[in-house]
Amino acid sequence: MCQTGTQVKDVVIKPDAPNTLLLDKHADYIAAYGSKKDDYEYTLSEYLRMSGIYWGLTVMDLMGQLSRMNRRNLQNLEDKVVDYVKGLQQEDGSFAGDKWGEIDTRFSFCAVATLALLGKLDAINMDKAVEFVLSCMNFDGGFGCRPGSESHAGQIYCCTGFLSITGQLHQVNADLLGWWLCERQLPSGGLNGRPEKLPDVCYSWWVLASLKIIGRIHWIDKAKLRNFILACQDEETGGFADRPGDMVDPFHTLFGVAGLSLLGDEQIKPVNPVFCMPEDVLQRIGLQPDLLS
Amino acid sequence: MAESEEEVDVLVQRVVKDINNAFKRNPNIDEIGLIPCPEVRYNRSPIVLVENKLGVESWCVKFLLPYVHNKLLLYKQRKQWLDREALVDITCTLLLLNPDFTTAWNVRKELLQCGVLNPEKDLYLVKLALSKHPKSPETWIHRRWVLQWLQKECSPSEQELKDHAEPREDAARRQCERLQRALQEEMRVCADAAGRYPSNYNAWSHRIWVLQNMAKGNLKVLHDELSSTRLWVSMHVSDHSGFHYRQHLLKALARELSQVGETELHPTKQPNGESTAGASDDNHHNDVIPQLFHEEMELCTDLIESYPGHETLWCHRRHVFYLWHQWRREHLQGAGSQSPPLTHTDVLLSEEPCDDSSTSQTMDVDCVLDGSKHGSYTQDTKRLKRGPLLPHPALPSEHTFVSKILTGCRSTEQNRFAIAYRKWLDSVIGQ
Repeated sequence: MCQTGTQVKDVVIKPDAPNTLLLDKHADYIAAYGSKKDDYEYTLSEYLRMSGIYWGLTVMDLMGQLSRMNRRNLQNLEDKVVDYVKGLQQEDGSFAGDKWGEIDTRFSFCAVATLALLGKLDAINMDKAVEFVLSCMNFDGGFGCRPGSESHAGQIYCCTGFLSITGQLHQVNADLLGWWLCERQLPSGGLNGRPEKLPDVCYSWWVLASLKIIGRIHWIDKAKLRNFILACQDEETGGFADRPGDMVDPFHTLFGVAGLSLLGDEQIKPVNPVFCMPEDVLQRIGLQPDLLS
Repeated sequence: MAESEEEVDVLVQRVVKDINNAFKRNPNIDEIGLIPCPEVRYNRSPIVLVENKLGVESWCVKFLLPYVHNKLLLYKQRKQWLDREALVDITCTLLLLNPDFTTAWNVRKELLQCGVLNPEKDLYLVKLALSKHPKSPETWIHRRWVLQWLQKECSPSEQELKDHAEPREDAARRQCERLQRALQEEMRVCADAAGRYPSNYNAWSHRIWVLQNMAKGNLKVLHDELSSTRLWVSMHVSDHSGFHYRQHLLKALARELSQVGETELHPTKQPNGESTAGASDDNHHNDVIPQLFHEEMELCTDLIESYPGHETLWCHRRHVFYLWHQWRREHLQGAGSQSPPLTHTDVLLSEEPCDDSSTSQTMDVDCVLDGSKHGSYTQDTKRLKRGPLLPHPALPSEHTFVSKILTGCRSTEQNRFAIAYRKWLDSVIGQ
């Protein structure tokens, strides 16, 4: 019956993995991204284009390199955006992702984050919106995509972010959720999104930001996590991958850098854990969502 | 070798035609995949059909995808017209190669709304796409939209029923059979996708969505699902999503059975044709629920002992114990209007498990149950004289279980999880 050891799902960080932050390489990587892509890859990732713009701009700003990105003039779409978001709220307070009607707590977060940035949170039925998100809270303190769904670090980030923006963080069981979140840390130092999943650098953001929002970031072994994130860098191309040795992409680059910022790296601008944007940007528009202490 | 635009055009049209012909030749295609084949071969079709498997040689994809993709975008931007047939073919080709492409799925939703597409065809396309991309969120989202569309559009209206010659009961029965088949198909699609990717969150959350939207309150389905997933999770002990599904089933069963137990029990027909648990026995629900939890905890114990060091199994234990603990609390405090006569179970249930261990009657019973035999509940059953005892998970027996694991096993991970479980019992349950 006795066995000496089970294979825990985790990675092993090689001794020659990167252990310093290669900021210049990452800035070069993002600045050049897209310009060299061949037709096929570019097409494959087209559905990510809008998100990609956000990832690229945000990470460059965090690194103080925003000036290297091309600027474009955006028309004043504010009212249309508010109406669009408002129109997506359902009777039970949930939000659809678009006109086709898929419900997910991610969209609740996107809705209130969008409106908060525009200063138009009053456009929606706040009580109902909160009621729906709270109905997605599970026995372990976590949140899923819909009521009754499995707790997932990404959804938890969205829901704690939502509750922060709407001033409802007191409804969270911070100790219980904090415990679930810090159980995401594996021996390698990396974080996963659910039990028995491999660590992934983007969870350094989803989990870490959630912990910061609920005031429990000190429950994580910060040094080990930093070690893991640094090991996910590619010394040759720049950028971060989901885990050491894999291919890099802008998505993981943003969340790797943002995670390091939350851990206190002084070479990176402070990042806001709710919006995943530089704090100075939010200060400029006077947006300071609640955090638990 | 540079390709002229004409050459690419000809190639693409050929490939799209070949794909469609393949489906016409074999409507039973059940899997699609890429065939690694980097050498460009303009003279040969890159579409390979072997038995029920459709393959696309990889060399053509880098021409095919951008071309077809851009055609669709030009159409959406109203810069180039595409007739409906072309749209159907192009979106089909695109989605088989890249099912994350939201716009293509949405074009098909529009075609469905116009009546150009058969919704069954899209369910089939989704199933195929999932055989290659079992996680693809947009694919699952499209499937849900089609299912909802079918529910809305295909339930016969009052007028339709009057128009048809057949009697209402027949129409209702046919509807019920259709729903049954649809349910089974959904479970099959979910199971296939779950098998193709470990801890497939999207597949399992779709399965829950199906329960909530196509089988609401259907006790038979809940019971069947509990039976049919038991073996699967036993063979996938790391699959957190699979175990979470069972937690959901237990929770739903406990809720439904409790509701049934509290009202006067008359078997009623639900819209889906299934009877509620109109059991002749008033005590039915009071025994069934503890039995369910007991069996689940037993399963969990077996798996924890057989496969040391799996966090998922310990998480499952937490959740099941929590659900049981909660149910027991609610059914002690709730003023049961139909309190069944006291059974031995109730005597045990009436003790607060959170009390200090030395004083409650539950503890005495548990102490009688030989410490060395914890975990083998059936043996304990025989020791008690007052009729069939339903052994139930309780805080003390859980602590004993943890101690047994800690003393018996040398797996460091198993020990770590056992200690964490004990800490959880103390912090969360033993308040």
